[in-house]
Amino acid sequence: MPVQFAAKRLSKELQKISNSLPPGIMLVSAEDLEEWLLDIKVLDSNPLYLNETYRLKFRFSSTYPIEPPEVVFVKLPDRPIPIHPHIYSNGIICLDLLGAQGWSPVQNVESIAMSLQSMLTGNSKNERPQGDEEFVRGNRLRPRDIEFYYHDNDV
Amino acid sequence: MAKPTFLKDEGNRRFQAGDYVMAEALYSQALIVDPQNPALYTNRAMARLKLSQWDSAIADCASCLRLQPDSMKAHYSLSQAHLALRAHDDALSHALRAHELCVAAADKSLGTITAHVLRCKKERWDERERRRVREMGELEEEVVELLERGREAAVRELGGGDEGGDGGEGGEGAVVREEVEEEWRRKMERVREVFERARPAQEKKRVVPDWAIDDISFCVMVDPVITKTGKSYERASIVEHLRRQPQDPLTREPLYPSDLRPNLDLKQACEQFVEENGWAADW
Repeated sequence: MPVQFAAKRLSKELQKISNSLPPGIMLVSAEDLEEWLLDIKVLDSNPLYLNETYRLKFRFSSTYPIEPPEVVFVKLPDRPIPIHPHIYSNGIICLDLLGAQGWSPVQNVESIAMSLQSMLTGNSKNERPQGDEEFVRGNRLRPRDIEFYYHDNDV
Repeated sequence: MAKPTFLKDEGNRRFQAGDYVMAEALYSQALIVDPQNPALYTNRAMARLKLSQWDSAIADCASCLRLQPDSMKAHYSLSQAHLALRAHDDALSHALRAHELCVAAADKSLGTITAHVLRCKKERWDERERRRVREMGELEEEVVELLERGREAAVRELGGGDEGGDGGEGGEGAVVREEVEEEWRRKMERVREVFERARPAQEKKRVVPDWAIDDISFCVMVDPVITKTGKSYERASIVEHLRRQPQDPLTREPLYPSDLRPNLDLKQACEQFVEENGWAADW
């Protein structure tokens, strides 16, 4: 693939999402074509996420969109890590769409943000993944290098 | 006998290191020993492209094509040289030929060559567009000038000279003259309006229809291929994806490059769209 492949596609995505994004998803910054920040909100009255805004960090490699971007929640004073059985307390997300197997190049930043939004909307369990503490303490790997075991994908 | 191979390898090494002058010289030496080697001509052509020696790059490509008419590299380099020389039709036809050969050989440079085809289309359109804008501007000026001359003639016909007029008679002449001038002014306004209306119409519809866009690269498609599910993608994009994961991007069903079929109608529609909207190649 030509080097500018990822850059070209990302600049087009940026152009598109700068004009319009679905409700509850906001572009915070996209200063370069390597790292973007977005905020998401859950729109219904799910008590787990009521009145909260969450910060997402997207990192793209030069092989995007053939390879998935790396997407994590970021913790800030006013941006907690949402509670969910597939989201570790350090912000790492276990979602098959973001893994090498589940990814498809027709996905994009907007569709990922929407998937995460509905992943939260549909959740009613007030819990972290199994072994969260241990994982957060011990993990030195980048999200894309972690072999998640995608159990109960219907959550 | 190993000498030309050594010279070529050394040339390649210099080329990789960005020393195009030395690379070109080494390929030239190798060619003295081995003038029937088509790869030496294409390598030297690439070095000459880097050195902006367009004409001699073209000569090398021609030498290569005499020995090996289906050389993808020769067609690709030839296209680049023609593009630099603004010979847009030649640039495009060699780019398309290189693309065709690249597909046939399942070569890895398909992405690069696809992007180059689009660039040729874009530059050809740019050139035409510049000419069109210039000619429209000139035409407008000429028409306005003709009208101006018409107005002057009409005023002159009324019998000039009654400038420092003599009371009543002069007053009536001035009124008639004003009417005539007013009439010509209206004509000129209308002409300007017509030109004005022709202008923004070109700018207005700068939207690329979704059907022309590849969902993977987000570019206008050059060589759309259709999958079993009926969805079309740019060949270079989907082949790159299938290399990593032989699955349909939408359904995840098994999908192999041999399952892809060209979508000829869509290809023609995209070609026509870019022909009329060259800016879209760069969207």
